[in-house]
Order: sequence, then C-alpha cells, then structure tokens
Amino acid sequence: MLRTDINELLAQAGPGTPMGDLFRRYWQPVLLAEELPENDCPPVRVKVLSERLIAFRDSEGRYGLMDEFCAHRGVSLWFGRNEEGGLRCPYHGWKYDVTGQAVEVPSEPAASNFCANVKLKSYPMVKRGDVLFAYLGDPAAQPPLPEWEAYTVPDGQVFTSKRLQECNWLQALEGGIDSSHVTFLHGGNLESDPLFKGSKGNEYNKGDLKPFFEVVDSEGGLLIGARRNAEEGKYYWRVTPWVLPNFTMVPPRGDHPVHGHFWVPIDDDNCWAYSFDYHPTRQLTDAEVAAMRAGKGVHSANDASYRPLANKDNDYLMDRESQKRGENYSGIEGIALQDSSLQESMGPLVDRTKERLVATDAGIIKARQKLYKAVKALQDGVEPTGNRAKDQKVRSVAIVLPADQSFVEGIGEAMVAEPAKPHTSV
Amino acid sequence: MSNHDHDHAGGPRSVPAGPSSCAEAATAKEAAYRIDYPLSAARNTRVVALDDEAERIIRSAALLDWGQARFFSITDPGEVLAEVGGSDLPLDEVMTDTNTVVMVATSGENATAVAAIGDLARERGIMTAGLVVTPGALTSDALFHLRPHARILLVPAEENDLIELLRATRA
Repeated sequence: MLRTDINELLAQAGPGTPMGDLFRRYWQPVLLAEELPENDCPPVRVKVLSERLIAFRDSEGRYGLMDEFCAHRGVSLWFGRNEEGGLRCPYHGWKYDVTGQAVEVPSEPAASNFCANVKLKSYPMVKRGDVLFAYLGDPAAQPPLPEWEAYTVPDGQVFTSKRLQECNWLQALEGGIDSSHVTFLHGGNLESDPLFKGSKGNEYNKGDLKPFFEVVDSEGGLLIGARRNAEEGKYYWRVTPWVLPNFTMVPPRGDHPVHGHFWVPIDDDNCWAYSFDYHPTRQLTDAEVAAMRAGKGVHSANDASYRPLANKDNDYLMDRESQKRGENYSGIEGIALQDSSLQESMGPLVDRTKERLVATDAGIIKARQKLYKAVKALQDGVEPTGNRAKDQKVRSVAIVLPADQSFVEGIGEAMVAEPAKPHTSV
Repeated sequence: MSNHDHDHAGGPRSVPAGPSSCAEAATAKEAAYRIDYPLSAARNTRVVALDDEAERIIRSAALLDWGQARFFSITDPGEVLAEVGGSDLPLDEVMTDTNTVVMVATSGENATAVAAIGDLARERGIMTAGLVVTPGALTSDALFHLRPHARILLVPAEENDLIELLRATRA
C-alpha cells in the first residue's frame, strides 16, 4: 500500500516535480542510435520526462536535442530541413545549431545580431554503444557520462531495442525488480526462448518454485537475491541489481548474453523500455541478434514507431489455447509483452492505496522507499547515487554457493564489471 | 496485412472493441469505475524481536496504529514470547491464527528461538520475513541465523524498514 500523494510523487517525472528533479540528475536513454543513422538525416521527435523535444544529427555528425518548437511561431521543427550544419524551420527559414542557438533569421537584415539572442532550450546528448543518452538537468550538476557496461563493450557485443509501454514508468520498473513473478509469468519460456534455453540455472528454477529472497541495500540501489535449492545442500542464487532511479538487470543464464532495462518516463502515462543484451567477452552471434530483432528474450516485435505489434488495441494477441496448453502462462507470447500487458492493464497509474503487498514484495517496498528518500535528500541539497561510474559498473550474477555463505560475500567481485572479464553465470 | 492480423487458424482476427477490450479497459477513465470497497484485514502479523536492540525497535513501531499486528520479544530456547505491553505467551499460541511473522535481529543472539519460530512457521505455512538491522554490515551472525528461516530478508535493514514493511503489507 502506498499513499496517493507518495504514489504521485514517485510516478510523475515532469519538469518541476520532485521525481522529475531527481531524474534530471541522470543521463537517460532518449533514442536508439539507429533513429539518427547518418549526418543530415531527418529529425526525430523525442518526448521524455514530459518534455517535447526534437533530436537531430547535423552535417558534422554532432547530435542535438532541443525544444521541439521554433522560437518564432511555435512550429514543430519535426518539419524542419536538416541541412548545412543546422535544423531549419520550413515556415520562415529560422535555423538552429545543435545547441539550439539560432544561426540564421532570414527576415532580419544581413548584419543584424538578432539571432544571437534567440536560443532554444537544449540538452547534451551523446552516443554510447547503440543508444543516445541525454542529460536534462542543471548543467552545474551534470554527472559523468554513463558507464554502464553494456555501453562500454566493443561494437558487436551489445544490442538494444526499445518499446513503448503504455503505463507509468514506476509500474514497469517494479516489474523489473519483482523477481517472484518470473516463475509464473515467464516459466513457460525458459526452455523455449532461444535467449534463455539450455542453461543449468533453468533446471534450478523449475525445480524450486518457492524461492527465498534477500534484499541487500547497496550504495547505488539494491541487490535482490533469489535463492533456490541446488545439489548437495547448496543454493542457486540469481542476483538482480537495481540502480537508481530506473535501471535493472536480469541475472544471466549459461553463456547467453546478459539482459537489462532502463524504464524511461515519457510522460505520466507512458514510458519507454530500453532493453539491452550484451556479452562481456564475445561478439553476439548472428542467431542471437536475429532472435533479438524478432522479439525474443527481453525484446519485442515492434512497428516502425517502436510500439509492440501485440498491444492493447489487439488485446496483445491473447491466445487462450496457448494459455491452456501451458506454453504461455498468461496466453501472451513473449517475455516483454507478458510483462507489459499486465502492467498496462493496471491503468496508466495504478492506485497503490488498493494494492495488497506481501512480504516477498520487500524489494519493491524498499525501492520505493529509496526513491522517496533520494527525492527528499535532493530537496535538501544531497546529490543522489546511481549516476557515478562505481554505481553503474554493476553486473547481474547467477551462482551456486554453499548454504552458509552470504550471496554478497560469495559473489564478491563478480558483481563488478571489468573489461573482458567473464560474467558469472550458471 | 501483417501476420498479426490473423488468428492461429489463419482467419482474420477481429479488432477488439468496447468496454471489455484491453484498449478501453486500461484507460484512466475506466480506472474510475473500479469498484470501491473496504479491504478485509487479511494480514495477521506477528513481529518478533530477537535481541534487546531489536526490542527497542519494535517497541517504537508498536506505538503506531496497526490493524492486527502484535509485537513480541523472544529469547532462547524460544518456547515463550513476551508481548509488548502484555503478558508472556507460549510460542504455539502466538503462532496460531497468524499468517506472517516478521523477525527483527541486530545481533546473532537467540539462534535457537529463531529456529523454533522458523520450524513452526514452515509446519503451519506461515510467511516469514527477517530484518537484519546491522548498519553497514552485509554479513553477520544475525543474517546467518535468520537465513534458513526467513523467506524474505532485508540486509542490512534500517530501523524504519519495519514500519515501511508493515504499512505496505497492511499489517
């Protein structure tokens, strides 16, 4: 249960809101690099943290992210001409560079300094791996560039997709933290999905349907350990990191690539799930990338606007026969859509005064508490964690440990990302 | 027409519409029609302190207004619990008519009592949670003793995690 005022405080990330202020202390994914594939390519509308923006890549390959609307008459610059080092409004020819600075106002005299005083609000945007990250906060508080391992591995070792999720970001995040749903909702996919199947860990998953959980506080967020019985009195641990405010990883299975997500608020009612797969020591295979593009694993098959083909307008292609046969526990195909269909069914912002949490929801309870505390601390001038390299160089882990060993102790440095270090997986 | 416009028999799939379609049911407008009624008090929680410092923590929490939560302390061998503001009660009685036990520990004391609670909880199908209030310490005797007996553990827990957990679970 969560009071309405705290629910809204955590869920709403628009400008000037407490959670919006917190989000504006982090670099956030705002586009896939494929959306701005070449210099002078068409501009792309971006809505993030309840701000309408336009992104473009100029003739020199520089990325720009700025107010979507021309300073002159409020025309959307989505109609703009991306040419010769800037984005030109097609209405009267005003032109802006990647910083939002007006560089040409054709109606003014040639020697006029008018345009020097016209600047659209803009934000820094950088390419890391196959994702463009932007920082929408106070320039004076800008953190270091993102250091997530997925975006520091060599080319060919990471694949990222994005999909529209039509509910508040917090509902999606909580799904990423909630390890206890996996056994039920995704249980049928462990041995059918090409990005999950075949690992020894799957046997432990299926052999122990009532895991124990340990929620461990960490400086950057939480580590959520799910413990199942293994052989000879040992435990199989799956450790999910959550890093403030909206990053979660999925524990690995065998030598499959490692998955994770950013749950990025678009506005109060929608979010983007940026879902990645990477391998720390090898290139992704063609078969793996093909599976990811086809919507397997944590990805989804989408239309050109990154909306899943199975969505609420077609009842997510619900297949009751598949549900009956047990192939898909909820009748929905694909892990990503299994999650999002249920999270969207809660409504754009679920009324958390009505929920009935249980003890195994402690990870969610603790994450909400940490988010709330981070918001309040920022209001008191204390900068949040999660935006530093030491918080971001984290890994998910799957491991078998002796029964008397703490998972934190047992995994040791396995949680710490280092270049070319094999990941710890079962 | 994409593959998704066909059902599994190969025929055309009709587009769902109306109040029972996901598209309409998931809107904020429709959320207003969720029926409103008082939730029954399904949670019947027992909070058990396993050492003196833990007792201080639960005594503080016990001052707040709760539904059916009751607060106790226990020492080895764990046959009798002392209720905060009440009298001593046998473990068997405390563990009757409850469905959740939250154990709070700050040290590794009273391991036998932890096991007694854990064994009875397992036998009766009672959910167990443990708060290991050891600031800054990720491993401890308290964790070691609680691990076999708590289905969910918070490590290291903060003092107010108890109140947050009880509130969130409507104790």
